[in-house]
Amino acid sequence: MKQKMLFFLSGVFLFVLVLLLTGCQEQPRLTFMVGGAPNELAFFEGLLASFTAETGIEVALIRQSTDSTQRKQGILLALRGHRPDPDVMLLDVAWIGQIAASNWLEPLESYGINREDYFASIIKLADTYENRLIGLPLYIDGGLLYFRRDLLQKHGFAGPPQTWSELRQMAEQIVPVEREQNPNFWGYVWQGAQYEGLICNTLEFFTSAGGGFFNGTATPVIDQPANIEALRYMNELIHKQPISPPNTFTDMKEEEVRMHFHNGNAMFERNWPYAWGLHNAVDSPVKGKVGIAPLPGFMTGKSASTLGGWHIVMSKFSDKKPEAASLIKYLTSAPVQKKLSLKLGWNPGRVDVYEDEEVLTANPALKDLKQVFNNAVPRPIIPYYSNVSQILQKHVSAALANRATPEESLKKAQSEVQEMIKSYGIR
Amino acid sequence: MASDNFLQQYEKSEVRTAWIFIAPLLLVVGIFVLVPVLGTFYTSLFLDVSYLPEQFVGLRNYTDLLSSPDFWQALRFTLAYTVAAVTLEAFFGVMFALLLNEVFPGRGLLRVVILIPWAIPTIVSARTWQLIYEYTYGIMNYLVVNSGLVSERINWLGTEFGAFSALVLADVWKTTPFVVLILLAGLQAIPEDIYQQAKVDGAGLFRRFYKITLPMLMPVLVISLIFRTIDSLRMFDLVYVLTGGGPGGSTRTLSYLGFEAFANDNFGMGSTVSVVTFVVAFAITLVYLKAGKFSEQLK
Repeated sequence: MKQKMLFFLSGVFLFVLVLLLTGCQEQPRLTFMVGGAPNELAFFEGLLASFTAETGIEVALIRQSTDSTQRKQGILLALRGHRPDPDVMLLDVAWIGQIAASNWLEPLESYGINREDYFASIIKLADTYENRLIGLPLYIDGGLLYFRRDLLQKHGFAGPPQTWSELRQMAEQIVPVEREQNPNFWGYVWQGAQYEGLICNTLEFFTSAGGGFFNGTATPVIDQPANIEALRYMNELIHKQPISPPNTFTDMKEEEVRMHFHNGNAMFERNWPYAWGLHNAVDSPVKGKVGIAPLPGFMTGKSASTLGGWHIVMSKFSDKKPEAASLIKYLTSAPVQKKLSLKLGWNPGRVDVYEDEEVLTANPALKDLKQVFNNAVPRPIIPYYSNVSQILQKHVSAALANRATPEESLKKAQSEVQEMIKSYGIR
Repeated sequence: MASDNFLQQYEKSEVRTAWIFIAPLLLVVGIFVLVPVLGTFYTSLFLDVSYLPEQFVGLRNYTDLLSSPDFWQALRFTLAYTVAAVTLEAFFGVMFALLLNEVFPGRGLLRVVILIPWAIPTIVSARTWQLIYEYTYGIMNYLVVNSGLVSERINWLGTEFGAFSALVLADVWKTTPFVVLILLAGLQAIPEDIYQQAKVDGAGLFRRFYKITLPMLMPVLVISLIFRTIDSLRMFDLVYVLTGGGPGGSTRTLSYLGFEAFANDNFGMGSTVSVVTFVVAFAITLVYLKAGKFSEQLK
């Protein structure tokens, strides 16, 4: 009997202990949630240590995976639950609309942040929601055209194509010759699989034809003639005298595209700036043979680059707001942004770093990138962007797979987006 | 009622003790199964989107879902996929189980080898199949082109039928071992002397299979097929890796549709898709139980 009693009591004791221990966790602390490759996380860990050394503020790193869908879900869970942690986090530019509209982000104006230090157009288009400053660009991405400098020269072209028709002409002339040695050689590789990357590419094609997805932030104009023309061009890249591989609409995501070009199997490539460093790595087959340029347009000078990149924000539910603001200021300060560029090869969100001698010596491409970023177009910053993207992915993919004509598919996309907006009761 | 009689044969105190012993388990099942299931149903009655005011909408999510062509397309695809995959798995499962039940040298090794696909996580085998179907370097294209079957490479995932077949093949490869495993156990439970008796009576190989093996295997076969059917009805990972729902949204399963709704932060619609998937799986399981006269066998 006594033993039974002891057993029972120890059970109760353990239960209470567990409750108490979880209760202890609730003490306010400053946390920074970030995901990425192991080297990136290690880099952030170093940054946080020096932040503590400089300011005396303790900060903990909450690790996430590299996968951006999982990162979004982790952040949504915390914010939906109004958790005090994480205080500071990184958001992909495509999620900002949804998260800002949910009223989960702390406006940053009152914390003494100088907007002029960053790309003005990006602050205006991506980091401002309903006239409040809700984030800062930690680093920036934009779509670029990579080309084989050596092959352009060999075939007698002066420079990269300015227009999409020039790109096609060049490819049609170069590909047959190169195929004699390399049967896997293609003209242009880009992200055409059914996923978010397809929408980034589509936005570039549409915008460079004078089209786009939305007028302002409320009126979808998906089935306008310019878009239909652009989608027809995309389809013909794969199906009519093809210069893009047949598996463009099934397999081609960033890494598939990069590997294709990397192995010397493509003349032109559309990718984000990260590919530059990899193409020029010591063991790269195309090392020193690659050039970058703004993407072509349907008319000269009508080029468009989709804005990507990650933005640093503060949670509205943070229990350490002044400290969180100091961390944001620290991570977007010129010395840290310079380190980010030198150590990780990321493109800083601050403009002054692009003038820095040391940074330019390490990465001469930054000079051209600044121009591209200045003109980058964001995906619509609207709360229901991911719905719009999903509808577009489905219908653009259908057109690329020849399951529908460009006109049919964009008409359907337009009406589905309108229906979705109506069913949500927005305006 | 049968259950009353069932309880009456025990003492009151025995019944009470039984309840006490079962209680912790019931509690766990209640907390981790019942509450989430009811919670999902509850959520499905709301417009639950973080940036909109939360609103009770009754069955509107259900009427929206049932009137959307995406749902019917996904339901058709899921059912076709389930029928194709489960039929093939049943066929190959029985074949392999019969083979592995025979005595021959190397049987032990083969029994282990055949289980390997089942031991690999689906997400990993999906990646492997992605490489197999890959257009330029994939072994599938290497085989069909080099053997002279076709002159041009094939973009396997580029059409609805191609992507469908590719998904079914990957699923059959992975889950046939599961059916084999269960059937093998069932085969070993059939007493050898029945076969001896049949042989003495002059029954041939096929007659013995149809009159003895198949009927006695039926209960086990039905169980394994119920498991496989429910699993196939909620298939997600292969689609997520291999096609992303493409081309043109033609290979989305019900689970993938639910995932899309959750990814859009539309928790009400996501829950609705989950509830509907549950109802479909439940209905099909009932059909199985009826068709397999399984309720009689349970008694």
